[in-house]
Amino acid sequence: MSMFTQASIVLATMVAVYVVVRAFRISTELAMFGAAVGGALVAGFGFPVRHVAEGAATYLDINLIFVTATLFMNLLKESGGVAFVVRSILKRFHRSRALLLVLLTVLLLVPGALTGAGSVTVLVTGSLVAVVLHYMGIPTHRAAALIFLNAGLSAAAPPVSLWAMMTAAGVNMPYVGFFWPLMLPCLVAGLLTSFILGWKGEGADVTKALEELPTPPAGMAWWRVLLPFVVFGGLVFVGRQWPFSTPIIGLPLMFAAAGLVSYLVSPVRLEFFRIARETVDQLLPLLGTLTCVGILVEIMTLTGARGLLAVTAVTLPMWVVYATLFVVLPASEAVLMWGAAPVIGVPLILLFNNRGLDPIVALAGMSLIWPLGDALPPTAIIGRLTVDVVGYKGSYGKFLRACLVPALIIVVMGTLMVVYSKKLSFLTGL
Amino acid sequence: MTSRLLAQKIVIIGLGLVLLAMSGASFYHSRRLKEPVVLGPGVTAVKQLADYFEPLRGTANNCNVYLLEGRERGATMLVLGGSHPEEPAGRLVAWILAENAVVQKGRLIVILSANRSASTVTRLGGAYPPDFSIVTPWGSQTFRMGDRWTNPLDQWPDPEVYFHYPSRQQLAFVDIRNVNRAWPGRPNGTLTEQTAYGFMELIKREQVDIAIDLHEAELQYPVISTIVTHQRGQDMATIVSMTLTDMEGFKIGTEFSPRTLHGLSHREIGDYSPALSLLFEAPEPFLDATRGITTREQLLTGKDEFVVKAGKHGLLFEKIDEKGWPIDVRVGRHASALLQVAETWGEDHPDKLLVITEVPRYKDVIEKGVGSYLRDPAKGAGRVVYE
Repeated sequence: MSMFTQASIVLATMVAVYVVVRAFRISTELAMFGAAVGGALVAGFGFPVRHVAEGAATYLDINLIFVTATLFMNLLKESGGVAFVVRSILKRFHRSRALLLVLLTVLLLVPGALTGAGSVTVLVTGSLVAVVLHYMGIPTHRAAALIFLNAGLSAAAPPVSLWAMMTAAGVNMPYVGFFWPLMLPCLVAGLLTSFILGWKGEGADVTKALEELPTPPAGMAWWRVLLPFVVFGGLVFVGRQWPFSTPIIGLPLMFAAAGLVSYLVSPVRLEFFRIARETVDQLLPLLGTLTCVGILVEIMTLTGARGLLAVTAVTLPMWVVYATLFVVLPASEAVLMWGAAPVIGVPLILLFNNRGLDPIVALAGMSLIWPLGDALPPTAIIGRLTVDVVGYKGSYGKFLRACLVPALIIVVMGTLMVVYSKKLSFLTGL
Repeated sequence: MTSRLLAQKIVIIGLGLVLLAMSGASFYHSRRLKEPVVLGPGVTAVKQLADYFEPLRGTANNCNVYLLEGRERGATMLVLGGSHPEEPAGRLVAWILAENAVVQKGRLIVILSANRSASTVTRLGGAYPPDFSIVTPWGSQTFRMGDRWTNPLDQWPDPEVYFHYPSRQQLAFVDIRNVNRAWPGRPNGTLTEQTAYGFMELIKREQVDIAIDLHEAELQYPVISTIVTHQRGQDMATIVSMTLTDMEGFKIGTEFSPRTLHGLSHREIGDYSPALSLLFEAPEPFLDATRGITTREQLLTGKDEFVVKAGKHGLLFEKIDEKGWPIDVRVGRHASALLQVAETWGEDHPDKLLVITEVPRYKDVIEKGVGSYLRDPAKGAGRVVYE
């Protein structure tokens, strides 16, 4: 049996198991696990215990970031800090919707740009922005879409764009010259997204909003809110400014430190263990998804199903490659997350380079499109996280539909950057 | 909590514990798998990397340093195998040197596990086999599979972005655990940086003239089947490339080390020491992102239909057909290339020769197989050490 036939059978089995398990209304996570086990059995690997465990640990670091960052934000919320900030922003900026939208866009772009993770944007500033958007009269599903899309753009924005960095590393290309090819489209797309989704809506009724918003506890002040962020930002800054004399503590511990400061400076006594328990309850579905995605990807790699998808994607005719970037990149992100960069990104960039395109601009264009996949099944990690953080209870499809128009603009921008990368190569030298 | 829910939780926890125990045993075995090295007749001393940089003592990266002193004085060559343990040809060539080479003139220093920690882990999500075995006339010898990056058990967490020392060039966060992005190293840095620093100390103290870092690459990687050289080694690399292509029947190119790409051995060893710095790349389809089924067989035969298909679409920088890239071919290329470097060096430095014998060349390895050059530890007679 050829490798193509075997991998196709394995892939078909995985899809079939996934569909059947889901038909029994069993969770997505267990469906993915079942698909992985089914694929391994059909491929003749039995139950590959080592690979299951190894795959489950693939996204351990990201899981730790989710837990610690969400704990930090929940501590801040419980201390009254979020309500305090929202009230202050509304009071000061409610007269200018445009200014408010620009400010919120910048607030959303910064955390992800610094850390390379859209999840950090959602967790750190997403909930704050969501409340402000609510009082600007923007429906929750549109607010969620605005935050999700900007979070994705923040992850693609420089200085840290993991898709660009990982793909560049895979083709022996220095991560140099990416700043403007990433920054300009991310900024433009971010502002367009915010204005498209946030412009319509009733003007902020400050009086009503202030009545409805919870009153912060006595003693709450800007320094109490900002100090944890200063600690987090300071730890990131120090690590970047003096990387050779600063111990590496990692993002999870940075968020934990910020959370600790938030706890210590809270004007009210916080029930730490209750908040921690609720945080884990809140995140459990996401953590489960990431764990099972890791297992699925590992088994897909083991059985050749991953290779089949990768080789199929990069051997299509050139015009088809261009025309399907909007499907291939988000779809690979939806399954592999950052793993999409080495699996799909590397062969695509080599293909583009072979065809005389500018690899830096092309990769920047691809990096713009990739994060859109974070709202798509089977993982939909950042999409689900955003919906969760914003507190949107409606159908997930409605949230996706709200994303559609700005997402199309982002896709078109990214694809045009790839196609016309040679002409845009001046951006790398700015 | 209902009794039904409690029972469900107990069952799931039980299954989790079984999974933990079984996989844990596999990981434990991988990390502690002893790889025997039968010291060849040419080995005159075995040191440790910590002898050159004390802080490495007691760490996973305190690897063995095999010294093969010649009968006459001459040039010193350092051969680094296992910078990326997932590229097994480099380690196997180093093994062959340690078990077979005899140095007539000059000195050979061989490292089998340049990033020993990376040899004790397999890539998360990569579905690597835990180990692989080479068939020999006396049975088979098993080697740890390893990864490209230092084991997170030895160096963790990663930063959100890696700043290379001393250039401050930004690299992907995970490359902070890549020893071939850590040169010239940092004495108070991470384990990986300290490892590179330890090798730089070795290079300086042992007055190494030529440093060769043995690697393999995916076929879709532009730097493949080549000798990457620091600018001071350009002439030599070109002559070696031409000679091998003419005389040994396989093509090998030359690439010049980019001055702006930092952390790699071919750049930093040359910049920070008097040694000539070269890096060899052989093709390893196992590393390709488009590879099919991930097995030991694929690792050792280099046969892969998906990679062949990618090649037919012009996506590769090296040819591949149904014959694949067997480990014997990859090892043979490295062996011939480093022997040719020694010979070419001698032509330019007649007063400081490096003469190495008893090492198979390309055709020998293909004819007899890598296993023929691995010695039986049972007959080591007190000359067995472990990696």
